[in-house]
Amino acid sequence: MSPVKTLGLSLGASLLALGSVALLGSILARNARAHSHELPQWTGLPVPADVTPASLQASGRKLYLNSCAHCHGTDASGDEGPDLHGLQVSDRRMASVISHGIKGEMPSFAKKHPPVEIAALIAYLHTLE
Amino acid sequence: MDSLTWAQAHGALVHFPVALSFFALFCETGALIRWHRPVGESLRVAGGFALLVGAAGSCGAVVSGLVLTRGELFGHGELRLHHVFGWPAFALLIALAVWRISLRQRPSRTGQLAYLLPLLLLGVLMAATAHWGGRLALAYP
Repeated sequence: MSPVKTLGLSLGASLLALGSVALLGSILARNARAHSHELPQWTGLPVPADVTPASLQASGRKLYLNSCAHCHGTDASGDEGPDLHGLQVSDRRMASVISHGIKGEMPSFAKKHPPVEIAALIAYLHTLE
Repeated sequence: MDSLTWAQAHGALVHFPVALSFFALFCETGALIRWHRPVGESLRVAGGFALLVGAAGSCGAVVSGLVLTRGELFGHGELRLHHVFGWPAFALLIALAVWRISLRQRPSRTGQLAYLLPLLLLGVLMAATAHWGGRLALAYP
């Protein structure tokens, strides 16, 4: 096989691989968006039984405005920190990021917010479509 | 499978393309140095197989990573950096694997050098991808 054909074949294969990645990514992202309105299945954070989802979300919004809005914007569309609309990560991961922070980018909120408040924050983040 | 299981699967699978790409680079460099000796050809064949297995492993690593992030192709912060280096590394690995398969005969020494340069670039991209991936794994225990 000539070098030009070999190069063309290699380039074609890598483009096909990247195209497959983009296709799989878009399918997974669409599937995640379609299920983002569902209540989280992970029950790792303690939420009192008498708390309704609406009150949990309202409580989460207050906490968000106090702790998160100065970086992520009052409408959560991003400022110094990223846009928080349509997050496609698990509740476990959201809880981990809020609790532990991201080194060099986001502080830890584990001491400021107990698990029940982190659960409220996550409930509010789920409302941001 | 939940996200923790996918994270564990991704963490296990990514080691194949990373380790085997570096092993292929080591073997192909050795082949170039010992080009006129039988051990040079053995190293070249070993490097070729390592790259092919690494490329096959990279497909599993990519799929598990995409499922883990629910289709996030870039993301923010360290995840973005992981992807910025990871996608070119994946594309280059696939391209080099196809290049290697299409080489039916032993190339010239110049041809071997031409193959070695993108392989070296692959090593750099793999190292950067692994670095940011490792940072992510430490940030989200």
